[in-house]
Amino acid sequence: MEALGLRDDYSDTTAGASQNSLQLIAFSIDEQIYGVEITTVREIRAWNGATPLPNTREYVRGVINLRGTIVPIFDLRARFGDGQTNPTKNHVVVVMSVGEKWIGILVDAVSDILTVSKDDIHAVPEGNSGDTELLNGIVTHDGRMVGLIDLAAVVSGAKTDV
Amino acid sequence: MSDLDEFKATYFDECSELLLELEEQFSAIQEGDRSPDRLNAVFRAIHSIKGGGGAFGFDALVRFAHSFETLLDYVRDGRVELGEDVVVLCIRSVDIVADFVAAARNGETLAADYGAVEKAQFDALSRGDAVELAQPEDGEEAMDEFDIDFTPVVVNLDAAPSTVQAAGGATVWTIRFTPFATLYERANDPLLLFRELGLLGTMTVTPELAKMPLLADFDPFGVYCSWTIELVSDRASEEAIREVFEFVDGDCAISIERSEAAPLAMDEEMPSFAALAEEAKAERKFVPTGEPDDLMAELEPAFAAPAVRAQEAAPVAPSSTTSEAAEETAGRPIGMSSIRVDLDKVDRVVNMVGELVITQSMLTQQMDDAIRDRYQELVRGIEVLAQTTRGLQDAVMAIRAQPVKSVFSRMPRLVRELAAKTGKKIKLDTIGEATEIDKTVIEQLSDPLTHMVRNSADHGIESPEKRLAAGKPEMGTIRLSAEQAGGNILIVVEDDGAGINRDRVLQIARERGVVGPDQQLTDEQIDNLIFAPGFSTASEVSDISGRGVGMDVVLSNIKKIGGSVHVRSWTGKGTRMTLRLPLTLAVLDVMLVKVAGSPYVIPLSSIVETIQNARADFGHMPSGGKVLQVRGDYVQVVDLAQRFGLASTQSEDSRFVVLCEAEGNSKIALVVDDIIGQQQVVIKSLEENFERIDGIAGGTILGDGNVALIVDVQSLKSTNAHQNAA
Repeated sequence: MEALGLRDDYSDTTAGASQNSLQLIAFSIDEQIYGVEITTVREIRAWNGATPLPNTREYVRGVINLRGTIVPIFDLRARFGDGQTNPTKNHVVVVMSVGEKWIGILVDAVSDILTVSKDDIHAVPEGNSGDTELLNGIVTHDGRMVGLIDLAAVVSGAKTDV
Repeated sequence: MSDLDEFKATYFDECSELLLELEEQFSAIQEGDRSPDRLNAVFRAIHSIKGGGGAFGFDALVRFAHSFETLLDYVRDGRVELGEDVVVLCIRSVDIVADFVAAARNGETLAADYGAVEKAQFDALSRGDAVELAQPEDGEEAMDEFDIDFTPVVVNLDAAPSTVQAAGGATVWTIRFTPFATLYERANDPLLLFRELGLLGTMTVTPELAKMPLLADFDPFGVYCSWTIELVSDRASEEAIREVFEFVDGDCAISIERSEAAPLAMDEEMPSFAALAEEAKAERKFVPTGEPDDLMAELEPAFAAPAVRAQEAAPVAPSSTTSEAAEETAGRPIGMSSIRVDLDKVDRVVNMVGELVITQSMLTQQMDDAIRDRYQELVRGIEVLAQTTRGLQDAVMAIRAQPVKSVFSRMPRLVRELAAKTGKKIKLDTIGEATEIDKTVIEQLSDPLTHMVRNSADHGIESPEKRLAAGKPEMGTIRLSAEQAGGNILIVVEDDGAGINRDRVLQIARERGVVGPDQQLTDEQIDNLIFAPGFSTASEVSDISGRGVGMDVVLSNIKKIGGSVHVRSWTGKGTRMTLRLPLTLAVLDVMLVKVAGSPYVIPLSSIVETIQNARADFGHMPSGGKVLQVRGDYVQVVDLAQRFGLASTQSEDSRFVVLCEAEGNSKIALVVDDIIGQQQVVIKSLEENFERIDGIAGGTILGDGNVALIVDVQSLKSTNAHQNAA
């Protein structure tokens, strides 16, 4: 995370540009790229299994031990309704903070750190309610589409009714 | 936090411990144990409180503690008999000391005469009733005067004692006080002694500077100064004066005599320190090295600086005080020794040990057979590491836990006070004081528990007359108990009083609109109305509390730490309030089981027995559900895999039944796939990063670093009952 810290410093000193730019951690699910703001990311870990939680939605993979704290893991693919990921050791958990809470999301791979301009953020097109619910916006980077994940939405409604 | 604040904080922590200790010791003494050990422990505790109090200048506390201590010393020596009345006085006085400490801690000032009656009683007892002591108010005044007006008088540098004549039959005492270097080494300050002495009467203190060397020869650690004190008092006895110097006995030379000499006008103008210095300079031909102010600075150490070399120390018999002190230190029970650590630091250690355990088990897992064969030494090393790590984990987890005793032991005093105030006779029984709860929970427990006990004492227990009329023993009983049960900590406050006046409660609830006019409530619902916010049975409110007053606060406090409160009352027989506290943060002994391939833990305290399915005696219900027959009783069966929406991979017969006890002796049989073993775990919160899950009380981290969920036996029982009803 050293390098990331430096980037932060850099962006701070180039105030004019940084105010209007956003740094993202980009990760992929089935070739599609998604991003979350870098400041929310706490840690990136290899998938190492999770203890399943009873009476929760399919996309809650369970909980892991993060240095003594219990952190829930959300399967982003399943959250998008594409069925559970079949995770291997190559899959990655991105640990992030959402408000006061720490959560992990299970993704296929972390691909890059992207700097994008806020002006390049496009609204999610109306139509599929699931899209507008889970994404904050869409950014184009190097000609590719990057979906901005709305973490709060990913986490909400995780329990099933008993 | 400044150093001083830190020292103070430590002192107050120590005081809390010592006060608990006192409470405990006097309870034993009250029950008839008058062994010297008890008395010594009590003496030590008071002595320590006084000592620290003196260091921080809590004068009122020190004065009171000093009288207390004197009496205790006399009791130890057998000069004062430890009768029932003395014990009662002592117990009351422990409370007063506690108040002094609390006031000092909060920076409050108690009334000047606070504890005066008791102090006077101590002093009277200590003196065999011979001397009637002045009220502490006088002492307070004398002290103030002293603080403001104290100026040394130089009569002449050869220190012939000045003479004072007393007005109105008072005696004049001349006290010559020559400190030895050891006095300063023990951090005693003559000023404090003089202050104490000043409480006995009007005094004049004259320093003797004849031994003051030339500046060139001046040793800052030297002792050059002695004092002559003229004390005019109508109440001081030689013994009282000696007592003032009791603490420096052996570290100074003291002579005390009644003097009969010519009068000295008290309003004579007294030379200041500066004048004194000037005079000293003239007389002793100090070599001036700078401004007079500098000279003052040079001079001052002679009065205040600790001394290392005893210059004029006459040989003295070893003091009893110091040898006692040494004995006390040596004889201090080992169990009492402890250190205070920031909770954050402990948490850090707990987390790091957790990491260590995980790393260690990772290492173990990675050793395949090839490695085992090739590197036997390495394997052995890792095995030892595993053992040590486990031991370390156990030790660390035990650090945060504390027995509930620290809260319980505050209650006897409360009950005593309430009994005295209301004229009732109340006995307090405590059970399960050793039950351990996480420190943070304990801290939150004190206020609610105080409320509950107060309610029981004030409203639960009837007056002795009423009790006798109702055919009950005159003495009411409040029972305070703690236990680990059903995966929770249960704290029960029970009294054998009148019970809740349901008609009255309901009437008030209707008046306040808490309950609708046509709403029908069960007895239990009515009882629980006392937790309604703002609810108070106003007509019953006394100056102490009203049943209901503050109970909503109790509820909200307990809810804050994730617990619940439940009240049950039996008219004419008593009330029981049950506090259920969560496992969260508590150290827990558990049984590790497997359900659908995942690890779960069940609190050992709630487990009655385990039975293999094949041997269990199941019965089938019309709904298709199962019941388990246990020694003639039928117990509801909950298949955890089913309940948690998981699929068991195990054949039915190879599974196990874990028979658990839920609240109120009701049982529930949980079916699990496999039983793995027992271990101790630290409870981790699920809610911290997720949400509460029904049937799960929290999580814990196993030795392999994986998370295991803690089965909430109680909630399984209640939700199941609810489901059955629905």
